[in-house]
Amino acid sequence: MHLHLIRIVALHEIRTVFRSKMPFILYSILLAMLLLAGFVGWNYVSKFNAQQARYTTEVQDNWMNQPERHPHRVAHYGYLVFREKAPLSFFDFGLDSYVGNSVFLEAHRQNTVNMSEAGFSNGMLRFGELSMALVLQLLVPLFIIFLGFATVAGLKQNGVLKILLCQKASYFDILAGKTAGLVAVTWLLFLPLILAALIGGAVLLQNEINAELLLRSGLILFVYAVYFLIITMIVTGVSAMSKNASNALIMLVLGWMVCFIVIPKSAQTLGSSLYKAPDKIAFEQAIEAEVRKEGDSHNPDDPHFAALRANTLKKYGVDSVHKLPVNYGAMVMQEGERITSGIFGTQFNKLIETYQAQNAVSVILGFFDPYLPLRNISMQLCGVDFDTFSEFQKQTEQYRFDKTTLINKIHLTQISYENDRAQKVAQSNWQQMPPFEFRPVPLAATIYNAKWSLIALLFWLVAGAAALGFISSQRKFQL
Amino acid sequence: MKISSKLLHLEVRNFFREKTVRWAIAGLVLFGLYSFYHGKNVIGSQLATISSIPSVQKTHLQHIAEEGKGKSVGTTAYYPFFYTANYPSPWASFSIGQRDVNAFSLKIKILGIEGQLYDSELTNPLTLLVGNLDAAFVFIFLFPLLIIAFTYNTVSQEQEHGVWRIVETNAPSLLTIIFIKLLVRFSAVVLTASIVFLTGVLLLGLPFSGPTFQLFLVIVCYLLFWFLLCAFVISLGKSSSFNATALVSCWIFLCMLFPGIANVLISGQIAIPEALETTVKQREGYHAKWDLPKKPTMETFYAAYPQYRKYPVPENEYSPGWYYAMQYAGEVEARESAGQLFDKLAQRQALAEQIGIFNPVIYAQQMLNRIAATDLTNHIEYLQSVKRYHKQLREFFYPPIFENEQTEHLDWTSYPKYQPEAAAMNAGNAPVWPLIVWSVLAGLSAILLLRRNFIQHTRRQNA
Repeated sequence: MHLHLIRIVALHEIRTVFRSKMPFILYSILLAMLLLAGFVGWNYVSKFNAQQARYTTEVQDNWMNQPERHPHRVAHYGYLVFREKAPLSFFDFGLDSYVGNSVFLEAHRQNTVNMSEAGFSNGMLRFGELSMALVLQLLVPLFIIFLGFATVAGLKQNGVLKILLCQKASYFDILAGKTAGLVAVTWLLFLPLILAALIGGAVLLQNEINAELLLRSGLILFVYAVYFLIITMIVTGVSAMSKNASNALIMLVLGWMVCFIVIPKSAQTLGSSLYKAPDKIAFEQAIEAEVRKEGDSHNPDDPHFAALRANTLKKYGVDSVHKLPVNYGAMVMQEGERITSGIFGTQFNKLIETYQAQNAVSVILGFFDPYLPLRNISMQLCGVDFDTFSEFQKQTEQYRFDKTTLINKIHLTQISYENDRAQKVAQSNWQQMPPFEFRPVPLAATIYNAKWSLIALLFWLVAGAAALGFISSQRKFQL
Repeated sequence: MKISSKLLHLEVRNFFREKTVRWAIAGLVLFGLYSFYHGKNVIGSQLATISSIPSVQKTHLQHIAEEGKGKSVGTTAYYPFFYTANYPSPWASFSIGQRDVNAFSLKIKILGIEGQLYDSELTNPLTLLVGNLDAAFVFIFLFPLLIIAFTYNTVSQEQEHGVWRIVETNAPSLLTIIFIKLLVRFSAVVLTASIVFLTGVLLLGLPFSGPTFQLFLVIVCYLLFWFLLCAFVISLGKSSSFNATALVSCWIFLCMLFPGIANVLISGQIAIPEALETTVKQREGYHAKWDLPKKPTMETFYAAYPQYRKYPVPENEYSPGWYYAMQYAGEVEARESAGQLFDKLAQRQALAEQIGIFNPVIYAQQMLNRIAATDLTNHIEYLQSVKRYHKQLREFFYPPIFENEQTEHLDWTSYPKYQPEAAAMNAGNAPVWPLIVWSVLAGLSAILLLRRNFIQHTRRQNA
């Protein structure tokens, strides 16, 4: 390996790329797509978040301005939470359009997160959304293919490769130099743009910059840089293995189709048929059956609630629920809430685990398709991944449970059992409750969740280098 | 133009001798088979869920009636859910469309409807994002790639190998030669498509009726468009690499970029804040009534149901009649924004269909979804049928509620049943003229360019 030879080949490659017109035209198209996608995404997220914030304020104001009410009415009045998009979601839309945007939180019931963008779409969305991430993940590899398919195969065709090999350069030097030159061009053309878009867009959305955001942007930049390098190595490798340029092009385009369209789709459909997830009716039926087994608050003879009554009466030393210093109705309700919430939590976690098992198929296939790990990491770093969304669901359910518990406590202590329905409590009672605030998945946890995808990406890096080494050692690929 | 059977025979042999051709056909057939399995799987599990509904509904109502003993219907009627289902058409497994995104089963109470219409099905969002590998995907996305792979080097390969010169000097008519080459390739594509389609019809159990033939017609016209587009690129007379690059770029533009931009355009042009607005309005509209005088609420209710005016509603205490009147009044207040929401969804669909005319890929997908009744229009129809059903249910319960009947005196099996026929099974007609127009445009330009780039060119050389 001769570093200075690699440098000469690389510099020559860069000059070659900039000399011809085709890369310039392709880059202009990609640049236009990137700017358009970036602007559209940014505009959409800022408008969307403004709308969500407006409704959040409206709901919170309505909540604070409730008149004197019976606590259980407040429990059913409930609360609406509107999901806001993560600051980097304008870069990579990820799952955002396919998950719900609002959830209604009330007593006794775990509602689904509803109103996803996809639900209001006529199917145009299913062709794929135009985001900066889409352009960078799918089209930049194609750009690299068009730029580099002839890089070695062309030399073979016009006989220059033989002349080069007769000089001091080894075949590996040439392959490394070609790779370095191509990837340098790609990095130069795209990385500064990515960084500027990420930081500029996020700052304009949030009006502030923090360490986490910078770190996330840096990591995104890093993984995309690695990704471009991997693609370039593959392109150089295939070009070196091909007899002529058009064979290389066909192979590469075919590979692109397989890795970017066919494998991702097959992986996910395979995952969902390997690990069957229950549909909503089955899911609810399972919960209902378990709740009935645990204790049925409607049934006066239910052993669980009979025991609760006996214990409570014993604790306060009275012989009838009417004589209790607290509201027994509220106590029963809270016990029911505790049971259903616990069972729901267990079942929900099981459901999330099933989904994770389905998604794991695409993580494993990341070792066969470099696009998959990058897609997953990019979503995770931008906060538009599966974990972020299930975290949102878990946190809203926790908030619902806490809120209902607090309301039941007010019911327990401030409303007497006799003539329960006709009483009301002061509005100050619910004004003390804090509004919902989503705590995003912290960066450390994100990286932990992304570990297999990161390993897959690094695997590709090593495998790519090893493949170039192997190809350069084979005499048949030099001819 | 006279086509000699000998030339045709030779070209068929020549074409099928290529290993890549056989591999590509085998690959596509395999994907076709997988897509049928997948479609059957998705729609099959939806059907299994739907068929579980009657027994779930029955036990649910039994529990409710049991627990409600000794209480009035007004108290008990708060609890029961009534299940509805959007039945898949027989063609849904061919083109899953939006059926995996939208809820195919909704359960409703007789409380205000607006908060209950948009409950989502439990789904893995990543699966939704990646999309289905259904038969429609194979025909719309993968078959054009097969066509590209078959045709990109039709003439250019022979030019590059130096065979074309010999053909030029020996062949009676170059146009006939090119025509024969394309004919063989198109026949191979249509044959493969027919085999895959027929297998699909058998495996998915599609009925031999109008919609199945419509599906096939749309697919054949769509493939014809791609074929003529390829012919157009070939007729430019450039190299194999150029043809491949240009055709793949066309594919990416038509299948990814154009729809991506169109989607942005549609959701920007027709934003729907009404979705959230409706939810907030209904909730406020209903809950505020608790703290207001009862008379205005009751008047809203009587405006639609004057026959209940005769029942007394005490002003200073709770009564079930008033409770359901409040629910109704909340619904009435949200009605306007709910109507706007539905209007806007219809506008989105209309705009998408207008845009579709300019892109055969989008158009073909829309037509397949329309024939299979798996598009947004079908979902809106379903939601509207659920709304109508909700009205029937309310009206079923109002008399016993106002009469203050006891739960055990009501026949809990005589409630109105959801009628699915109203929602599904109206697979609209799917005109293919936009596909034909695009095909003709591509075909005519191809013929013109072929004449210019190949025939005249030869004459010039001969002269």
